[in-house]
Amino acid sequence: MKRFVAVIAVALLGLAACGESSSPAVPGVPGESTQPKTDVLAKAPVAAAADLLPGSTMEKIKQRGELLVGGSLDAPLLSQQNPVTGEVEGFDAAMGKALAKYILGEPKVKIVNSASETREALLANGTVDVVFQTYTITEERAKQVAFAGPYYTSGLTIAVKKGTTGITKPEDLNGKKVLAGANTPAIPAIKKLAPQAEIITFGSDPECVQALKQDRGVAYVQDETILIADAQKDPSIEIVTKPFTSDPYGIGLKHGDDQFKTFVNGWLKKMQDAGAWQEIWKSSIGTVVTGDAPAPPRIGSVPGS
Amino acid sequence: MSVILDHLPELWQGLIVTLQLTAASFAGAVVLGVLVCAMRVAPVQVLRALGTAYVEALQNLPLLVLLVLAFFGLPEIGVKAEPLVTAIVVIACYEAAYIAEALRSGVNSVAKGQGEAARAIGLTFGQSLRHVVLPQALRTVVQPIGNIFIATAMNTALAAAVGVVDLTAAAQRVNLIEAQPIPIFVGAGVAYGLIAAVAGFVTGRLERRLVILR
Repeated sequence: MKRFVAVIAVALLGLAACGESSSPAVPGVPGESTQPKTDVLAKAPVAAAADLLPGSTMEKIKQRGELLVGGSLDAPLLSQQNPVTGEVEGFDAAMGKALAKYILGEPKVKIVNSASETREALLANGTVDVVFQTYTITEERAKQVAFAGPYYTSGLTIAVKKGTTGITKPEDLNGKKVLAGANTPAIPAIKKLAPQAEIITFGSDPECVQALKQDRGVAYVQDETILIADAQKDPSIEIVTKPFTSDPYGIGLKHGDDQFKTFVNGWLKKMQDAGAWQEIWKSSIGTVVTGDAPAPPRIGSVPGS
Repeated sequence: MSVILDHLPELWQGLIVTLQLTAASFAGAVVLGVLVCAMRVAPVQVLRALGTAYVEALQNLPLLVLLVLAFFGLPEIGVKAEPLVTAIVVIACYEAAYIAEALRSGVNSVAKGQGEAARAIGLTFGQSLRHVVLPQALRTVVQPIGNIFIATAMNTALAAAVGVVDLTAAAQRVNLIEAQPIPIFVGAGVAYGLIAAVAGFVTGRLERRLVILR
């Protein structure tokens, strides 16, 4: 009996150790909002008091006094913590602040660093109210969470080391070593379009770029926005295709909370109409993509949203 | 549960990689660990210093840092290897420091008279270590070595950071599509738990058989 107990104990220890190394579910460094960027959020609307229905999720957030946002702290242009100011900056981060302003009257958010493995669980157990994290709407995911939006549409493209020939479309990746960010939509997309490609994944974008420069793979598949920023910083890599997928990003909400979903969709509509969406785009993604802000995607236009 | 069954081939492949990583890096760690331990107890001061430096350096750096450094840093000086090879070598070097320390505690538990007797009958340092001291030391540290084996198995999960698709990475990829983290990671956790349980069971049996009653 004693031995049996010992075996179970060892097994549990193993489980605990495993959990530690693989699930960053513990809210990491919270990105506390201190100085809201008033210029960008100036046009962002504020909800009428009557919209915060009694007993609703929005009313609970209002009473708490801050919006809990699941997001990243290391995604350039989208949601990245500025090491100097501590402020989280980018398109997703600003959208989260704008939603907080809509509910609370001020852009008070707490960003919970959520890995892509844990978003569904964090929403289900109420650790976060919303997720703004390049959260592509898919029908499988829509069974676990509710998606408001889409609020942005992006697409995957391919970067190579400058001078690489023979890669002009996704199918050219067959039989080659291809780099991708771990837990990004690039992995299923490569599997579908180039099933013979060998996919090598790394946790962050800088690691993938480094691996590309060290010839660990001949191509790097990633969201166009991120690749444009990379190519601007580093002239030794270049982008060889136009985006070949369409990834509609949704705002993750707790599954079944239709009242809150309607509310968030209403906010998004007002953001687009007021031009606040466009302002936020210009101050983040628009700093590397030239031209005017694109037309925002139509709310509810994707299966799952 | 069905989500695990639907993706059994990928998860199974990941588990195989995890087992390969564990077995290969543990084997490497034992060989290297014995060498480092021998250095730490050697009569030559330079060797002792080198052994100490090795253990201190490896034990005081997080494994993830070592992995990323080896994978992205070494190519800068012209040393480049496949992700799996890099992971095996780095994990083996890292765990070797712990094996060496466990073994050293075993060596210290061997009665001084044993070494003196070995010298008295004319054995060299290497011979007395090989035939007299290490066999006794090993039998004393079965349990600690077993624990290092379990730690090695758990630490292999970090190999995903340098592009190895082990059980953890496979689980992450499945979850990316299915978005059901709880069943998927509980399933992966159970698999790791089973590896640990088997290791615990085996070392328990070995210890009972090999223990030296003093």
